[in-house]
Amino acid sequence: MTATGKAILLVEDNPDDELLTIRALKRNHILNEVIVARDGAEALDYLFGTGAYAGRDVSVSPQLVLLDLKLPKVSGLEVLQRLREDPRTRMQPVVVLTSSNQEQDLVNSYGLGANSYIRKPVDFEQFSEAVRHIGLYWLVLNEAPPVRRG
Amino acid sequence: MNGPPGQTGHADNDEGMDSGALALLKLGIDFHAMAAITSSEGRFTYVNDKFCAVTQYSRSELLGQDFRILNSGYHPKAMMKELWQTILGGQVWHGELRNRAKDGSFYWVSASIVPRVDPAGRPVEFITIRTEITKRKVAEETVAQLNADLQRRAAQLESANAEMESFAYSVSHDLRAPLRSMDGFSQALLEDYGDRLDATGQDYLRRVRAGAQQMGRLIDDILGLSMVTRQEMTHDRVDLTALAQLAIAELRQQQGERLVHWRIGEGLAASGDPQLLRVMLDNLLGNAFKFTGRREQAHIEMGRLGRVSDGVFFVRDNGAGFDMTYAGRLFGAFQRMHTTAEFPGTGIGLATVQRVILRHGGRVWAEAQPDKGATFYFTLPVVEDPS
Ligand SMILES: Nc1ncnc2c1ncn2[C@@H]1O[C@H](COP(=O)(O)OP(=O)(O)OP(=O)(O)O)[C@@H](O)[C@H]1O
Ligand SMILES: [Mg+2]
Repeated sequence: MTATGKAILLVEDNPDDELLTIRALKRNHILNEVIVARDGAEALDYLFGTGAYAGRDVSVSPQLVLLDLKLPKVSGLEVLQRLREDPRTRMQPVVVLTSSNQEQDLVNSYGLGANSYIRKPVDFEQFSEAVRHIGLYWLVLNEAPPVRRG
Repeated sequence: MNGPPGQTGHADNDEGMDSGALALLKLGIDFHAMAAITSSEGRFTYVNDKFCAVTQYSRSELLGQDFRILNSGYHPKAMMKELWQTILGGQVWHGELRNRAKDGSFYWVSASIVPRVDPAGRPVEFITIRTEITKRKVAEETVAQLNADLQRRAAQLESANAEMESFAYSVSHDLRAPLRSMDGFSQALLEDYGDRLDATGQDYLRRVRAGAQQMGRLIDDILGLSMVTRQEMTHDRVDLTALAQLAIAELRQQQGERLVHWRIGEGLAASGDPQLLRVMLDNLLGNAFKFTGRREQAHIEMGRLGRVSDGVFFVRDNGAGFDMTYAGRLFGAFQRMHTTAEFPGTGIGLATVQRVILRHGGRVWAEAQPDKGATFYFTLPVVEDPS
């Protein structure tokens, strides 16, 4: 399986997890460009072309957003909520990726319209396997939603 | 608190009552209540015996004395102002007052103050009837105090729960992250630089990974245990036989070549939370399955002891058993009677079982002998007969 195409936006504040996630993507031959946002505010700036990303062509949306929940400044759930509220990003595929196995996180994530929820396991092999499934489904099998201009 | 207008004009006492009845009415009042009359300046001109008894003053001490000697300074100014406005306006005032007795102690009365006014409407004297209600007021105060205490405790408990909740949340997030780093980068080392490490070096890295993963499981177990305590529970009719069958169905998938004879009693039922009781049975039956792992023929039985109404159940096996000398520790978290080399596990199962049973108001205990098997007993509330 080799997937290329549009970028993946990885929203992750922990540098170790960032490295490991990128490693897991590579290991599974997912070669999309990875853009990293290190807190929720940066992620929103990227997606809506504001702040440091002012002027970015927002009609070019990431193929997939990998979203951690516990983030500085703006939480992952809040990012998700903002994405679903805006017609430009309503269809954006978002996979929540988090340490937590707390039921409330899962319920909240799906409630706010996450496409999928993956708990980062301690075992890297399991994590890599989960990333492989995400890649297969969201980058290869799943047709990207039509571009919407708001 | 003010009642209908008091007497205006002259007393007109013959409303169908003759003087004989009136005398008896006075007798009844003296028997029942404290009665007093004060002049318009507030000096006692009449007190009955009960009034003297409750205030602890003698009649001679009271007559001519200002009624304010009874004031306790307890009531807010606004209330006293309202009282005075009412009676000076010729109306009856009724309410509850705290007064001070001669020895300084306080007593409560339910009081009615009736002004007697002259033809111009000016009060000439005040007739008061009081009944002592100290006991009731003290009881009310105690109840109010207890309620306030209870509310404070409920608030404390709530905040402790919220704290626990956020603690569990951060444990599940933050404590796991460094473990992912340990495991992930050890794996990266093995994969990318494995050829530069000899077998011992690679073994060390594998141990780092195993350690990180073990700690990950421990964290999950602790969180699971705290869930059992925090989760809200229901009180349904729970079919324990059916729950046990579900647990067994899952265990059978791991059974492989093992010979296990399961015997689950029919119609076992209790009142409780199905989810929690499922967790409890999973652990007891799971233990029985695990600790019979070395038996050629495992026998695992679940049933009821004594009468249905006793609500005593048991899970019995013919497995490895254990020495009862150390049974006191059995239900503590991370307490084990066997090494992980003999039987794997973290020692959280029975702690979970105990919490579930305690939350149902029951008891759990064990009997065992090394190499002769173990029996775990537990009690649960029995189902009320619907008829
Ligand atoms: N049926 C049994 N037969 C023999 N020993 C038992 C049995 N059940 C429990 N024990 C002893 O009690 C200890 C504690 O049991 P517990 O279920 O808490 O932990 P565990 O089974 O070792 O690990 P875990 O349940 O967390 O996976 C066990 O390690 C074992 O030594
Ligand atoms: Mg166990």
